[in-house]
This record gives sequence, structure tokens and C-alpha cells, in this order.
Amino acid sequence: MNDISTKFYNAFIVKDRWQLYIQGLGVTIEIAVLAGLIGIVIGCIVALMKLSEPKKGHRHSLWWYIATAYVDIIRGTPSVLQLLIMWFIVFASSNNGVLVASLSFGINSGAYVSEIIRAGILAVDKGQMEAGRSLGLSKAQTMKEIVLPQAFKNVLPPIGNEFITLIKETAIVGYVSLSDLTRVASQISSRTYEAFMPLIGAAVIYFVLIKILTLLLEAFERRLRKSDLR
Amino acid sequence: MISVKNLKKNFNDHEVLKGISTEIDKGEKIAIIGPSGSGKSTFLRCLNLLEEPDSGEIWFEDQLITDPRTDINKVREHMGMVFQSFNLFANKTVMDNITLAPVKLGLKTADEAKQSALELLQRVGLTEKADSYPASLSGGQKQRIAIVRSLAMNPKVMLFDEPTSALDPEMVGEVLAVIKDLADSGMTMVIVTHEMGFAREVATRVMFIDEGIIMEENEPVKLFTDPQTQRLKDFLSKVL
Ligand SMILES: Nc1ncnc2c1ncn2[C@@H]1O[C@H](COP(=O)(O)OP(=O)(O)OP(=O)(O)O)[C@@H](O)[C@H]1O
Ligand SMILES: [Mg+2]
Repeated sequence: MNDISTKFYNAFIVKDRWQLYIQGLGVTIEIAVLAGLIGIVIGCIVALMKLSEPKKGHRHSLWWYIATAYVDIIRGTPSVLQLLIMWFIVFASSNNGVLVASLSFGINSGAYVSEIIRAGILAVDKGQMEAGRSLGLSKAQTMKEIVLPQAFKNVLPPIGNEFITLIKETAIVGYVSLSDLTRVASQISSRTYEAFMPLIGAAVIYFVLIKILTLLLEAFERRLRKSDLR
Repeated sequence: MISVKNLKKNFNDHEVLKGISTEIDKGEKIAIIGPSGSGKSTFLRCLNLLEEPDSGEIWFEDQLITDPRTDINKVREHMGMVFQSFNLFANKTVMDNITLAPVKLGLKTADEAKQSALELLQRVGLTEKADSYPASLSGGQKQRIAIVRSLAMNPKVMLFDEPTSALDPEMVGEVLAVIKDLADSGMTMVIVTHEMGFAREVATRVMFIDEGIIMEENEPVKLFTDPQTQRLKDFLSKVL
């Protein structure tokens, strides 16, 4: 018993180490939120680029090819490698580590978000667009008024999941020496020669954070669904 | 009012419309009948270019709507369409379903649109559903709203694609009554239907489409009592 409390003391209390975890958590959240926003912006743009249908007998637009290549490349390479490439090659001269990491994760996430959005739009009944067009509304008007609001409900749950994945994915920023929650925990464990407390502690923090997010998302989804059936 | 000249349409290698020509005059009520898969819906959907024809011409009043330079959105403002599956906007209330297009397209102010929507809803007996969402309506109610939504645009012609086929039998009557009412008011209409009794009663001309062409057309009494082609005889013997 005494042993455990000593370990706990060494892992969290001494030298105010708990503050390091909080700082690490701050870095994790900062990167995840920034990357999430970047991912959603990229995802929307890329989804629209991929949805632009070619006229009959025509080839896809240049935009479509760019968007398709982007999604393929991102999905076809490990995210750690993407991070290292951004860090050591593309933005080698930058000294804002959090921003570079956020950009890297955002670009990565954008590919997945774009597929989610594309699927969400395609899942809206084709008849909705046809009804809008048959009334004389343009494609853009029908998209904005009818299809996108319905697609929003389709994409909210998978985008929430994507964000949760993103939070966990940021744990690899230790590769480029950013002090996120995971790296803080592993550094403390190597300083105290005791892995259990710091690592389990960090795991618990991630778990609680994600649990809270999940509950919030579920509540939001329930609200959306209610407004559907008046 | 509508003039169709040698209309052809393929889906991939499948030749669905093989050259359809016809004239539809103002005030006519055309019923289109024919076996499943014969191209009835495709023909109807070509009339407002929801399907793009491969060749042939479609004229609406004095406009060649198959000309790529024609602003098809403007043309569609004058052509209402009612779908088998209703296609009410799921994210809008009944009122918003009806007023969205007239307001967005600048044909009516929000107040005018609302006023005329209420009048139309009264005509189909659904005033109290104005603030409901489509998900809470029965099939028959949905289809009556869908008809009202088209009428709110003051169309010159109404296209119906099997408007009662997705309905439970007990709701068919209420929808047909609305359509009949509309016919009596003088609206030009084209209706794809499997309701032979209704076609006979309401149509001024019945068109039998089979194998991608208008196999036979005539006024209803003649067409039903004195079919000329073997294909129509076979078809009628199956459905009547
Ligand atoms: N978008 C499409 N892509 C490919 N084939 C299609 C498409 N739409 C229709 N077809 C085919 O074209 C043919 C005619 O279809 P259409 O819907 O016009 O028939 P229909 O006469 O309306 O039949 P029904 O009475 O069953 O509604 C069918 O063989 C159908 O499978
Ligand atoms: Mg059909």
C-alpha cells in the first residue's frame, strides 16, 4: 500500500508534476482542435471538388483529379510519416511546432472528413434534389436549402468519431518532440523509473476526455433527431 | 403547348426511348399507360429535362428546351412535377415546402407566398398541417402537399409520375380527387398512371407507350374499347 502511494506521489505530486500532465493535455487539445477545424474546412472543399459531376461524355475536371489524388495519398501513407515530412521537410524552417503539427493532422483528417461529407451528401435521397430542380431551383440553391442541411445530420456522428480518432492520433507528436500528454507521461516514467502510474494516469485522462465528448455528441444527435419528427 | 419531335434516350447501351413524337395542347389531359420498364417515366422526365435526351427536340411554348442555351430553371418554373415517392423536403415544414421555391425565385414575397399556400392547403383540406414536418404525414397527405407545392408556382402544365402507386389503397381516392379537381379547373396535365379507371374518366387522350415508342394513342373510350395493336390488347387484358 505504502509502495503505491509513493509511486503516486512520485508520478503526480512531487515537483508539482501534475501540472506537466495538464500542460501536456493542453497541447493535445490545442493540436486536436486546430487540426479538427483545418480538417473540416479542407474536407468540405475536397468533398465539393469530388462531387462535381462531369457532363455526359466529358471527363472529370482537374479539381476532381486533384481531390482524388489528395485523398488517395493521405489514406495510402502512415500519418507518422506525414508528420515527419511536414516537420523535417515542408516546414523545416518553422519554429511553431504546434502549428505545424496541427496542419499536418488537419491535412490528414481532411481526407477522411471529405469522404464522410461526400458519403453524407450522397446518402440524401436523390428525389430531394430532383424535387428542388423540378420547381425551378438551381442545383446550388437546392444543395444549400435542402441537401446540405439533411447531409449535416448524416455526417455529424461520423465526424464526431473522426475527431475522437484525431485526439488519439495526436499522441504521435512525441516523434517531433512536442510535449503532449503522451510524451509528458512517458518522460516522467523514464525519470522516475516507474511506468505504471504515469502511463495509466495519462490513459485515464484521455479516456475521461473522450467519454465526455462522446456523451456530448450523443446528446446533440438526439436533439437533431427530435427536430426531425415533429 | 408542348411539342416533342423524335425524342430518343439511352441508358448506357439500353435504348429506352426510340423516337417519340407528339403534340400536347393547352388544356389537354394526357394519361400515359404501358408495361413496367417501357419508358413512361423516362419520357415524362425528359419533358422537364430531369433526364437529358440523347437526340430529338422538345418545345415548350415557343422555346426549344433541349437547346443547351435555354435556361432550364426558368422553364421548370412553369412545369410542375409530382413524383411517385412524393419527395417532400424532409428538413422543411409543410409551409416551407410550399413557399420555398416561389420566394427563392422571386415570384412572390414571403407574405404572398404564405397567403396563397394557405389557400391551396385549404383546397386540399390540410390547413392544420402547415407547421408539420413531412415525416409526420400519411402518404396521401404527403402527396396532396406535393401537388400543392407544385401548384404554388402557378405552373402552366403539371406532370405526374404514378402519383398514387406508393399509396395504401385507402389513400388513393383522396389524391385522385385532388388531381381530378385540378383537371376540371382546366390545367394541362400529363399523368403516368396504372389507374385505368382514372385514365378513362379524366384523360382527354390516352397514350400507350411500349418498347420505347408511342405504340398507340387515342381518346380514352376508343382506346380502351377498340385497341388496334396486339400489344395493347395484351396489355389491357392483363390490367383490366
Ligand atoms: N437512371 C437510369 N439508369 C439506367 N437505366 C435506367 C435509368 N432509369 C430508367 N432506366 C431503365 O430504363 C427503362 C425504362 O424505365 P422507366 O422508369 O422509364 O420505365 P417505366 O415505364 O416508368 O416503368 P414503371 O411502370 O415500372 O415505372 C427500364 O428498363 C429502366 O431499368
Ligand atoms: Mg415509372
